[in-house]
Amino acid sequence: MPNGGPNSQAILVVGGGIAGISAAVETAEAGYDVILLESSPVLGGRVSRLNRYFPKLCHPTCGLEINYQRIRGNPRLKMFTMATVAGVSGEKGNYTVTVKTTPRHVNAKCTACGDCAAAATSEVPDASNYGLTTKKAAYLPHEHAFPMRYVIDPSVIGTPEADAIKAACKYDAVDLDETEQTFDVTVGAIIWATGWRPYDAKNLTAYSYELPDVINNVEMERLAAHDGPTDGKILRPSNGEEAKRVALIQCAGSRDHNHLAYCSRICCLASLKHAAYVREQYADADVDIYYIDIRAHDKLEAFHQKLKNDPQVTFHKSKPAAIVEGPDGRPVVKGEDTVTRDVYARDYDLVVLATGMEPSTAGFDLPVTLSQDDYGFIVPHVEDTDGMFSAGVAQGPLDVSMSVQSATAAALKAIQAVDGA
Amino acid sequence: MTAPLPESNGKKYDLGFARWVYENVDGGDKLSMCMQCGACSGSCPIGTEMDHGPRKLFMMIRAGMKEDVLKSNTMFNCTSCYNCVVRCPRKVPVTYILQDLGRVAQRLGYAEAKETDNARFAKAFFWSTRKFGRTDERLFSAKYYLSFGVGEAIKMAKANMPVARSLMKAKRMHLGMPHKIKGVKELNAILDKAEEIEKREQGV
Ligand SMILES: Cc1cc2nc3c(=O)[nH]c(=O)nc-3n(C[C@H](O)[C@H](O)[C@H](O)COP(=O)(O)OP(=O)(O)OC[C@H]3O[C@@H](n4cnc5c(N)ncnc54)[C@H](O)[C@@H]3O)c2cc1C
Repeated sequence: MPNGGPNSQAILVVGGGIAGISAAVETAEAGYDVILLESSPVLGGRVSRLNRYFPKLCHPTCGLEINYQRIRGNPRLKMFTMATVAGVSGEKGNYTVTVKTTPRHVNAKCTACGDCAAAATSEVPDASNYGLTTKKAAYLPHEHAFPMRYVIDPSVIGTPEADAIKAACKYDAVDLDETEQTFDVTVGAIIWATGWRPYDAKNLTAYSYELPDVINNVEMERLAAHDGPTDGKILRPSNGEEAKRVALIQCAGSRDHNHLAYCSRICCLASLKHAAYVREQYADADVDIYYIDIRAHDKLEAFHQKLKNDPQVTFHKSKPAAIVEGPDGRPVVKGEDTVTRDVYARDYDLVVLATGMEPSTAGFDLPVTLSQDDYGFIVPHVEDTDGMFSAGVAQGPLDVSMSVQSATAAALKAIQAVDGA
Repeated sequence: MTAPLPESNGKKYDLGFARWVYENVDGGDKLSMCMQCGACSGSCPIGTEMDHGPRKLFMMIRAGMKEDVLKSNTMFNCTSCYNCVVRCPRKVPVTYILQDLGRVAQRLGYAEAKETDNARFAKAFFWSTRKFGRTDERLFSAKYYLSFGVGEAIKMAKANMPVARSLMKAKRMHLGMPHKIKGVKELNAILDKAEEIEKREQGV
């Protein structure tokens, strides 16, 4: 039994992505009480919207499912979805955290039968598809949702549609009167695992993101996903044709002093994975990767070499200068090949901008002052008198395995903080 | 003050050249930020006219290829559109560097720098500015054409007649006496002073 045992202070984890889940589960399994807050209706964070993981091309749902089992089986772990931190006071060993919840309008009686969705008539943007599709205003976020519980979109509350939705539920699970709640919890340490958002490709004015066949890398994940907008077929958004000439543009707004000055570390591998998605689907597809330098660290280099050996995947050492609309509406990538000094203009079916990861806390007023670096990433741990820690991409641009490592490290640090408090 | 450019003593690779450029060329201090991505040369509307283009020229500077750099036509083809400066992910002021390198090449008397179209054009342009306080499209074109010799000048003038006619129609060019500004003398005094300051700063 750890020092202090069941009487020691609880630990709060903010953010239920792969990092927050890992930190929460590790802490709870070590015998500590944990409160996990997730602002969206489901756990999983960004990885639940990825098609597959590099370098093994396995499915994110697999690892997530194992973690959900660990959460279900652990009475020490209390989780709140649609919940975030509204305020923090106190110090290491004794923080009072004000939690704010947004109404889901569906309670625990929900069996996910889907009758409410059938009764709904209006559509809202589907966040799990990055808004590429819409879904009913009564929805299950996605097919592997955890918790497996529907959500009623606030846009229909107070309308006859909401009444119809409520009437359709056989289990009395719809609660249209649910309101925003706030309550306080006392914890000894806080792990911030608030993750990231894709850098906004609209800022890359030279890259014409407004063209239908110019997309970003998270949208590419959705195009390849069986539960995505195209049922997993990589098709041109403009006309639904198969995308067989594909350009992948690295460092789109990364390592760029006009945008994100840092390297997000995962985009090279993500694009190599995207090349693999395309080549898997179409034997006659050609993929061009435009890069400044390929950053495949450690064991990931083998995946890079594998793609390099594919004669239908071509690597161009060049940061494209511009993407323009060709005469037939196809995107044209322009630039200088830095090896040959050729100035090129090549047209494609689909162009994917490999945008980087921006901390989700950048540009927001946090409810508490945290140590952040120039880019808004939260410093892992400042000093021993502090009970605040960060994990996952909240801490810096990490892939999943590094996020999980950082989460385990944060869990251990948090345990030390409450034990020593 | 600009340090004198060190002698290369006939070496093809002069390892002191890059440092000299970093320290003495306008914007050169940012040149070490360049990561050779190619966004500049790819952005250049007339990049194909350039023998090297900015990215390669910057690599040549680093490699110490002083002679090849100062004989390049890249600097003189820059139209100062600033596409490269806007897009450079490392905020290298490409345009400034090219312009100042061009001036260095001129100052050091590189024949290539003096003979380029753009150098001749700039010279004719400046001649008109000093003489009339403004550009007289007709006379300064003539001056530019004549820098290639009389025979060549006649050919060039003939080839450009349709352009001249359109310019006249648009009242951008006229026949008769050139239009002078009032203070030509004062303008020349300003330019003389500027030249004097420039020379002083260059330590000549
Ligand atoms: C195109 C692309 C492809 C990728 N592919 C791979 C891959 O194949 N393999 C790999 O290893 N990595 C990959 N990555 C990287 C991977 O997505 C990240 O490593 C991973 O998502 C990090 O998880 P996280 O928990 O730190 O952050 P997130 O997934 O962003 O989770 C953060 C969670 O916190 C919640 N949250 C945010 N703010 C608050 C708040 N204030 N209160 C409460 N909750 C909050 C969010 O809703 C979210 O659920 C890819 C990245 C990109 C861009």
